[in-house]
Amino acid sequence: MMPCRKWLGGVVLMAVALNAAAQPWEFGKAIDVTAKSGEGIFHHLESAGRRNIAVSAGTVAVAWEDNRDGTPRIYLARKDRNADGFPAEVKVSGTDEAFEPSLVALENNRFALAWEEDGRIHVRLATPIGLGPVVMLGEVNASQASLAIHGHHLLLVYSQVESRYGRIRLQHLEVDGLALRPVQGCPVDSEMAQDDQLYPTVVSLGGRVLVAWEDRRPGHTIIMAARHTDDAACRFSAPQRISERPPGPSMPYGKGHGVARVALDRYASGRALAAWADKRNFREGYDIYAADYLGEGARLFGPNVKVQDTFGGFAQQWHVTVAGHPDGMLVVAWDDNRDGDANILLSWREDDGWSDDLVVPGAAGPGEQNHPTIHLDQEGNLHLAWIERATLDGPTRLRYLFGKAN
Amino acid sequence: MLRVVLLLLSALLTLPVLADAPEGYPFQSFDKAMQQARSENKTLFVYFGRYGCGYCDKTNKEAFSDKGIHETYARNYVLAYVDSESGKRLRLPNGERITEREVGTRYNAFVTPVFTFMSPDGQPLLRLVGVQRIEDLREADTKVQQMLAGAGKK
Repeated sequence: MMPCRKWLGGVVLMAVALNAAAQPWEFGKAIDVTAKSGEGIFHHLESAGRRNIAVSAGTVAVAWEDNRDGTPRIYLARKDRNADGFPAEVKVSGTDEAFEPSLVALENNRFALAWEEDGRIHVRLATPIGLGPVVMLGEVNASQASLAIHGHHLLLVYSQVESRYGRIRLQHLEVDGLALRPVQGCPVDSEMAQDDQLYPTVVSLGGRVLVAWEDRRPGHTIIMAARHTDDAACRFSAPQRISERPPGPSMPYGKGHGVARVALDRYASGRALAAWADKRNFREGYDIYAADYLGEGARLFGPNVKVQDTFGGFAQQWHVTVAGHPDGMLVVAWDDNRDGDANILLSWREDDGWSDDLVVPGAAGPGEQNHPTIHLDQEGNLHLAWIERATLDGPTRLRYLFGKAN
Repeated sequence: MLRVVLLLLSALLTLPVLADAPEGYPFQSFDKAMQQARSENKTLFVYFGRYGCGYCDKTNKEAFSDKGIHETYARNYVLAYVDSESGKRLRLPNGERITEREVGTRYNAFVTPVFTFMSPDGQPLLRLVGVQRIEDLREADTKVQQMLAGAGKK
């Protein structure tokens, strides 16, 4: 089995090499985001929507969680885009266990972070002059925060357990110097949750707010979305299913196929793409599927399209993330093991669909490279961070790679 | 009377099928099961399922419902259930914090169900992919017990 897989891997790498000339980015050398690594230290990049990297003006920032002092805490590293390395990071979270930071860029080298700590959502700003005060949101049992920019203020979505199930909530936050002030908030689905609503993510589309999340209401997990209908009243359209039911007869057992962890980003004017892991082909395991936001019509998203190329069918895909650019560029990243090791792969939107998959040079090779998070800056350069480890259960390193736009 | 019976039958057929671990078995979370397996030096049997998993449901109904399977597996193994799409957090004996979904990723639970027999430190010994029948589970138990006996661990 394995030699065949290696052979396929060789074919894939050859295909990648043939394709390299056409790729939109020229990649530099991978560097560490933090020097804090070693036995017993485990870094995590796993926020809802996978937003752990951002760029503001000339500053690149990466937010993550690790257990360097024995407790999971949130850290932020920042560097000038042209600097060779990241200076020492800052601790962002407080005294309790903290998880799943989401990061977004504001203007002028400022950033906002949201995370879960002690069962509640915490949010604060990080600026060149220091960290802002922490704002706590939601009741106990809130988690899975994801941030976005909406004009001059912030959007925060998270899952709040109400009675029995997680329910997605949206919170608007005003930015005032170093401070954040919660203004308006509401549940995204006006109906009480019938089952868990999980791992939300949000984008702002020229005044409109679009939220996507995992939803277990049909007895299995599907991806759903809703759109703001009334900014003043914080009201949303009725949620719609994005992940399609595969064609063919229903199975006699169970409720349906599995999907997981939607990522969402905007690109071009008023456009957005949702991408997620989808197990509709149960023989292949998870594949990467995506759907385009259709705009102002009643139907929110278009047909589901498989993003990965045909070689992806020989492997399983995990940890999908998406980044868009106002000029229309759109790129999806994930990890898979098609050549025997877990590597980071990219596919970008072309005129006639999705490009062949690119195994990212510098984020591939022996060992494990996974959990990518990506961002396209104003010039279309690609910023990538991921987790690297030599063995499946060994200590991790947090890595960064710059891809200069061709 | 017939109407009442039909109504009851209809209610039973429309009960939600969530495909969790089979009822009546001492399945526990992966990290707790691993701790127990280490302290008792016992083999782990890890059930990788997911919410709404059809073939998990079928295996639960057609194989795990067997009394002999129940007795054998509860006796011979420490049982762990992992929801391969869940964000539930676990802490492994090496101190690593990991979600159930990531345990599924690590052990390549690319379909569900996957059943993996593991040594107490998490090394896979035998893997069963997809729907299992009573005889499949019996045969797998025999193989694993022979492997353990061959390695002088029984």
